[in-house]
Amino acid sequence: MSRALIAAIAAVIVLLVVTSASLFTVNQTQQALVTQFGRVVEVVTQPGLHVKTPFVQSVLTFDRRLLTVEQPGQEVILGDQRRLIVDSFAVFRITNPLLYYQAVGTAEGIRGRLNSVVSGSLRRVLGNNKLLDVLSADRDRIMRRIRDEVNSEMHGFGIAVDDVRIRRADLPEENTQAILQRMQSERHRVAAQQRAEGAEASLKIRADAARDRTVLLADARAKADNLRGEGEAQATDIYAKAFNRDPHFFAIWRTLQGYREAFDKGNARLVLTPDNDYLRYLQSQPTPTAP
Amino acid sequence: MLLALGAVALWLASGLYRVQPDELGVVLRFGAYDYRTQPGLNWHLPWPIESVELPKVTRINRTEIGYRSDPRRQGNADVPAESLMLTGDENIIDINVSIFWKIDNAVDYLFNVRGPDALVKAVAESSLREVIGRTPIQPALTQARAQIETDVMKQTQEIMHRYKAGIEITQVQLQKVDPPAAVVESFRDVQRANTDAERMRNEAESYRNDIVPRARGDAARLIAEAQGEKQAAIALATGEAQRFDSVLKAYQAAKDVTLKRMYIDTMRDIMTHAHTLVVDDRLKGLVPFLPLNAPEPKAAPATTPARPAARPPAQSVLSQPGQPVQPTDNGQ
Repeated sequence: MSRALIAAIAAVIVLLVVTSASLFTVNQTQQALVTQFGRVVEVVTQPGLHVKTPFVQSVLTFDRRLLTVEQPGQEVILGDQRRLIVDSFAVFRITNPLLYYQAVGTAEGIRGRLNSVVSGSLRRVLGNNKLLDVLSADRDRIMRRIRDEVNSEMHGFGIAVDDVRIRRADLPEENTQAILQRMQSERHRVAAQQRAEGAEASLKIRADAARDRTVLLADARAKADNLRGEGEAQATDIYAKAFNRDPHFFAIWRTLQGYREAFDKGNARLVLTPDNDYLRYLQSQPTPTAP
Repeated sequence: MLLALGAVALWLASGLYRVQPDELGVVLRFGAYDYRTQPGLNWHLPWPIESVELPKVTRINRTEIGYRSDPRRQGNADVPAESLMLTGDENIIDINVSIFWKIDNAVDYLFNVRGPDALVKAVAESSLREVIGRTPIQPALTQARAQIETDVMKQTQEIMHRYKAGIEITQVQLQKVDPPAAVVESFRDVQRANTDAERMRNEAESYRNDIVPRARGDAARLIAEAQGEKQAAIALATGEAQRFDSVLKAYQAAKDVTLKRMYIDTMRDIMTHAHTLVVDDRLKGLVPFLPLNAPEPKAAPATTPARPAARPPAQSVLSQPGQPVQPTDNGQ
């Protein structure tokens, strides 16, 4: 009885051990290789529950996800001899776990390998391009080119590189200082120019205003003189019309008026001889008839 | 037996789980993705058959580039290595950006990419630098900001789609776009220069606004004066003409008498106002003694060259009262 129970328990334990050794799960994020004494016998790409021969076979799992490897700041020399410090990252996935396992085996291994290939490709491709191209819209083309180069070089490693992207591209410290100084001097130039343009505009406005004033006044004077002239002309006309009716009488009238005005002030002196017509009654008595 | 049943019940109960409102349940059977569950109480086959992942699918995540916000303190810590970058015209600009994103496809997010959060940051940073790398600094600082945000968002989103990362970029927000701290002062000086120029222009304009209307006023005054003079001249002429007309009418009515009257009136008037001296030209020695201290009368020469007429000698000198004693008066 007890022997049978022990035997049953032992059988269950053995069954459990064998079962757990012959079943394995592959996670959604993983893929696996089944090896037998180091030799790969099966490639498992489907996640889920799988079976293997217990004890003789073992399982190696690899990531199935998109993986990122970063290449921190490396100095590259561009086509125009400028130096640039480039941070990049490569995005890849393991497409062939068997090749991958045979070629490098570990995550560290692939990282080192990929880093050296990417940095070599970066140097080559960037070395053929100018700084402005790297900065500008050409960056995309450059990155695609690097990706393709890396992909073909890493062909035997069982991975596919989806993308190599330049994360940062900065100038070395001494160039940065130079740029900052240039920015500063450029701003000074712009500031000076704006001030000068302000002064220019100011002077121009003032000069225009002074000119406007001069022109306005001159025009007004001209117009005023013209008006005066018109007045004189009309007055002359009126005089002429009136006086022309009897020029002889006008001469007398005007002359007498002139005498009157000339002597009106009281400071004029008049010297006459006694034979003046007006004074004739001083000399001889008037008679009832005209002389 | 009861013990065994209890153990089985406990085992089954371990499959109960709760999905929070901001989460989504993703159930894996033997590690392989099987199905999704919605918020609420759910049950999956217990370990080791099924397991569940609970990603927060409604939460908006924020990735910071160029700075780190510190919830304990006000203000952000700047990370110059991330925030300083080259612009398209080889200047350096200091930019802080927030990338807002959420999980778009929970399965992709969980199983397609290792470290999706870090990848968002790497891709966004790369996109930002690429966009800035083709933008000159002046627009980047001013009007191109919205464009930069749109471009970075579009490009980051496109790459995340290509990676099938299950991530949706909801917003890209430029926090700070400045010139580098070392040169910010000279950028401010440009703004000051702008203001200075504006001020100079305004001052000049106020000067113009001051003098030009005044000049217009002066001009108007000159013209008005001239108009006045014109009117006055015409009025004067008209008046005189009318006066002449009236006199002429009187004269035409009685020519001789009028002439005589006018002559006599005029002479009388003159003589009452002017110092009159009657000199007989036969009294030769007298002329030097004329009172020359008084202003020389202008009309005098007109009448002094007297004719050498054979007239009786003059016997009187008329002089004005109130005048100093005349040195003449000896002819009678």
